[in-house]
Amino acid sequence: MIEYIDVHKAFDVPVLTGVNLTVQTGETLSIVGPSGTGKSVLLKTTNGLLVPDQGDVRVDGESAYFDGDETLRRIRGKVGYVFQYAALFDSMTVCENICAGLPLGVNIREGWVLEKVAQALEDVNLDPRQVMNKLPAELSGGMKKRVGLARTIVGRPEILLYDEPVTGLDPVNTAAVSRLIRDIREKTGVTSIIVTHDIEQALEISDRVALLEHGVLRFVGTPGEFQASPDPVVRAFADRRLAAEAAVRIMEEDAADLKKDMEEETP
Amino acid sequence: MNKLIRRGLLRPLARVGRTAEAVAEHAGQMASLSWGVAAATLRGRVSMRSIIDQFWEMGVQSLPLVLVTAVISGVVTTQQGGYQLTSTIPLYVLGSVVASSVVLELGPVMTSFVLIGRVGARITAEIGTMQVSEQIDALHSLGRDPIAVLAAPRVIAGTITTPLLVSIANVVGIFAGMVAARLSLGLGYQSFLYGARMYWHSWDLLYSINKGIVFGFIIPLISVHMGFRTRGGAEGVGRSTTAAVVFMIISLLVLDATFPSLFLN
Ligand SMILES: Nc1ncnc2c1ncn2[C@@H]1O[C@H](COP(=O)(O)OP(=O)(O)OP(=O)(O)O)[C@@H](O)[C@H]1O
Ligand SMILES: [Mg+2]
Repeated sequence: MIEYIDVHKAFDVPVLTGVNLTVQTGETLSIVGPSGTGKSVLLKTTNGLLVPDQGDVRVDGESAYFDGDETLRRIRGKVGYVFQYAALFDSMTVCENICAGLPLGVNIREGWVLEKVAQALEDVNLDPRQVMNKLPAELSGGMKKRVGLARTIVGRPEILLYDEPVTGLDPVNTAAVSRLIRDIREKTGVTSIIVTHDIEQALEISDRVALLEHGVLRFVGTPGEFQASPDPVVRAFADRRLAAEAAVRIMEEDAADLKKDMEEETP
Repeated sequence: MNKLIRRGLLRPLARVGRTAEAVAEHAGQMASLSWGVAAATLRGRVSMRSIIDQFWEMGVQSLPLVLVTAVISGVVTTQQGGYQLTSTIPLYVLGSVVASSVVLELGPVMTSFVLIGRVGARITAEIGTMQVSEQIDALHSLGRDPIAVLAAPRVIAGTITTPLLVSIANVVGIFAGMVAARLSLGLGYQSFLYGARMYWHSWDLLYSINKGIVFGFIIPLISVHMGFRTRGGAEGVGRSTTAAVVFMIISLLVLDATFPSLFLN
């Protein structure tokens, strides 16, 4: 179980201003919201990659911030994090990168290790023979993303945090990754949080959907409730057509502002 | 009047205050980094292979440039010394001038400058890039300790490699000076070595190697520290690399200046 309790985080400006959320063990929750609202920041407070300014995050009842280094280490051991931009180690080959997801001290030359690496690559729809010995710089963006995913799942964490796992993937690979997320969950009962802009994926694979906006969760509920919500912001996210209308409205407002500014400037 | 005081007095003072604050912040972070490196080393968390890799990159690959620098230090000291020694001072004194200049100052300092440019800048750029591309976060999330994985091997290798490089630079520098003295001033090897021995203290070598150890510790320490502090994309990496080089040069000069009063009394 993961509990976010009144999480605040500011950089130059406030980003999170009191997020409260509980994710049950075995649950899959998607977080959606406009770009730059702090979805990645929220995810990073779970395993201490960013420290909240105020509030607490508890994983299975233990705090990553108040219960000492040993607890933080234990939390990091059970939380797997899929980075938005893969964050592969660029001095290491694909194989070595994925090995880094295995427990410390495994020998990369042992047969079972290579088998695990190959299996993880196949799980993310990559051909092990082709990519195993490549460096990250030699991979496409979508391939990097999937290697990053493989590196996280190979260690079989109890909790998986996915930061935009399908953004930038083609439809076939998007479907493959969605299927993988669901398979992992069915086989191992992991708790997952998925940050995504792919609303269809979110509605399809999650038990609950949360909408982060202006530093707080504006909505948390089941996919059904999400789609039925009367809140205009939620509706803009739930419905492509409404999103498109919202975009047009924003652009029209911007254009009007610009026109007004120009009129004021030229007397 | 008020304005004058504010501009003339308070503003510079505020600037001094800010600088002091920044220095204290860096010092604190570097102290905790050193502590982390020591702890990781004592707990056996640092892989031997990565130390050897760093040893190779810092030591062996820097050797050619260190050798060239040492040769030039020796040759230039000989020629300038020879130019200044007038007929009243016997020429063999040159042996002592060259030996002490090289061992006490030029060997350790020039070698360290080579390492700042060749090794320090690279470490900051490398770790800075890892920082801005979330690779450091990835290490944390995989339960790895960036201090044990990245900082410790570099600091350990630097502390071992630099005194070795300094020793080689000393020998090569003196030898080059000796050859130059013979070719340009006609001073024989025997006389040169006689002069070198006359004013030689056995303590001098230890002093030189001590400098090598201190500089060899501080260069990777600063460069790793600046790498971890990097923020803001490729531009940030460039900025922190430049800052790290300036920081290393100044620290080296300050430390070098404190050495005589600490050890030569
Ligand atoms: N390390 C950091 N230092 C300074 N500011 C940061 C940092 N990380 C994030 N921010 C700021 O916090 C805000 C939220 O960033 P975040 O990456 O969480 O957005 P996001 O919701 O994940 O957006 P996207 O959907 O585009 O990934 C942004 O304004 C960003 O500039
Ligand atoms: Mg993000």
